[in-house]
Amino acid sequence: MRVSDLVRSSKATLKHGKMRSLLTMLGIVIGISSVIILMSIGASAQDYILNQVQGLGSNLVIIIPGGSNNGRLSSPAQAQGIIITSLKQQDADALARDPSISAVTEEVRGQAAATFQDNSLTVTFDGVPANFFTVRNFGVAKGYPFTADDVASYNHVAVIGSSLADTLFGAGSNPVGQYINVKNIQFRVVGVLEKKGTGAFGIDQDNLVLVPITVAQTQMLGITYFNDIMVQANDAYNIDFVKARVQTILEQDHGITDPNKDDFTIETQQDVLSLLGNITSILTLFLAAIASISLIVGGIGIMNIMLVSVIERTREIGLRKSVGATDGDILQQFLVESVMLTFVGGVIGIALGALVVSAAWLIINNIAAISWTFEFPLSAIMLAVAVSSVTGIAFGLYPARQAAKKSPVEALRYE
Amino acid sequence: MIDVRDLKKDYIDEGEVTSALRGVSFTINKGDFVSIMGPSGSGKSTLVQILSFLDRPTGGTYTFFGRKTDDLSDIELAHIRNKSIGFVFQSFNLLTRLTSYENVEIPLIYSGVPVASRKKMIEDAIRSVGLEEKIYVETAKLSGGQKQRIAIARALVNDPDIIFADEPTGNLDSVSGAQVMSILDGLNRNGRTVILVTHETNTAEFADRIIRLRDGVLESDTPVKNPHRSREQFAK
Repeated sequence: MRVSDLVRSSKATLKHGKMRSLLTMLGIVIGISSVIILMSIGASAQDYILNQVQGLGSNLVIIIPGGSNNGRLSSPAQAQGIIITSLKQQDADALARDPSISAVTEEVRGQAAATFQDNSLTVTFDGVPANFFTVRNFGVAKGYPFTADDVASYNHVAVIGSSLADTLFGAGSNPVGQYINVKNIQFRVVGVLEKKGTGAFGIDQDNLVLVPITVAQTQMLGITYFNDIMVQANDAYNIDFVKARVQTILEQDHGITDPNKDDFTIETQQDVLSLLGNITSILTLFLAAIASISLIVGGIGIMNIMLVSVIERTREIGLRKSVGATDGDILQQFLVESVMLTFVGGVIGIALGALVVSAAWLIINNIAAISWTFEFPLSAIMLAVAVSSVTGIAFGLYPARQAAKKSPVEALRYE
Repeated sequence: MIDVRDLKKDYIDEGEVTSALRGVSFTINKGDFVSIMGPSGSGKSTLVQILSFLDRPTGGTYTFFGRKTDDLSDIELAHIRNKSIGFVFQSFNLLTRLTSYENVEIPLIYSGVPVASRKKMIEDAIRSVGLEEKIYVETAKLSGGQKQRIAIARALVNDPDIIFADEPTGNLDSVSGAQVMSILDGLNRNGRTVILVTHETNTAEFADRIIRLRDGVLESDTPVKNPHRSREQFAK
């Protein structure tokens, strides 16, 4: 039997039972489009998260208080509710003196309500030095960032996030020069941050209040330690070398001789990137695996319908055999029908998936105003086509064999 | 061309053996027009199924064009059915979702005739049964007589040596039945072997010879005294 005859005959059969073919295909369409959508979301999320981490600033080494397990990144100690006070001003000073380090910026963090007149919002306030804005790539859209003088003089000035500005002062207004109240201290707003979205570690950078670190430590939190220190590597030095230098300096400073007993954890931006990359890849695969379950269900649907079709077309099978069809011809015919169903279902599924992903992309970018890259991975399309065709063969084989096995005499006699 | 010796067919159902044919012997020559008759259960359907290679005997020998057939594979049997045999069934067995053209095309698909060469063969076959105006009509829309004529065209398209017609007029009115018989008669006059299964004596006497079966054995094998006259009578 020629391939052209096989395709033509299968097409005619499927077209004849249009509604049934469409409904049978639906399982595959849903399965394939789910795989496409989830893989696309996974890839886009990965891009987005990695961009956010890269947005931290270039050549950064991050120092978090508390040790780590065998050098692998564990959850920050603060997140576990443990307060670790191992990072102090003398550490920051020691790091700043090293030639491989071009900048050091420390952070302390707390939660409090920010109030303007009757408007109030609970926010994260961040005590930072003046160089924080350049080291961490925090652009100021309105006004100016506070200065080293402000920090040294314990001035009550603040730079606030754009969403917070909208919440407290109303959308579109300019809060620069106004006063807000945080922890019973009046801060003069000197700048508003550029819109940034939720950043690494889940902190919403658009609802932040940045204040001089001196004020935050002494007047708001009453502490002398830091929540983290970030170090910008000197461009002349390799980032791994700088990481090793940071470790040596801090161990000397803390009097630690056994690196396994370090009371701090050092991560480079690259470490965080590769870790997050791994997590999102696993997550994407996991989502795709869940979506493939619906493909199996779709495949069983196809097998079911093909079995019914074999019974309904028993006389046709008998006739075809009586005019010269071999078992192989009959097997091929039914197999091609099921592969055609899954293949067409797969193509429709890809198209539907692409449609949903682009619609989601439009909504996210235009309505939610988050810059989200549209990722439509080629691997997902190839996987979808391969999986749908294999599904057709796998689930079509049994009904096709049932058809081929029929004896012509019995098939012709079938009522 | 067809020679059967002591042909037997047993069916085994749940350990119980039923003998449909208990040793049948005869010869059919090229160009013969033979009717096979017998009451139901006589074994005539079984005999025709074996003669047309839809089934295999369980005993005896079947020689087809001088060749013993008991060692032929399923694929070889399918090729013989495709090239040497044309079937006409009582219930037509057309695929009614397809047109006349597509139905007649089916045997050509399995004989591997290139698509380009098919058109003329199909048109010739449909013209020979006088239905060229129905060539692209879905067969569901044809009358019973027209359906059977398309089925005959399908049987003819591969230019087979033998036509097996199993109660071809059984589902037809007398006018359509006469048309179908006259087509079969014409085919036989042109040199084709026709084997007709029927229980109607009137139809059976169209043949030159009638083989009667009863209880799986040959009851009689007699020539028809005046087959031509009976054909004319039938036509009236």
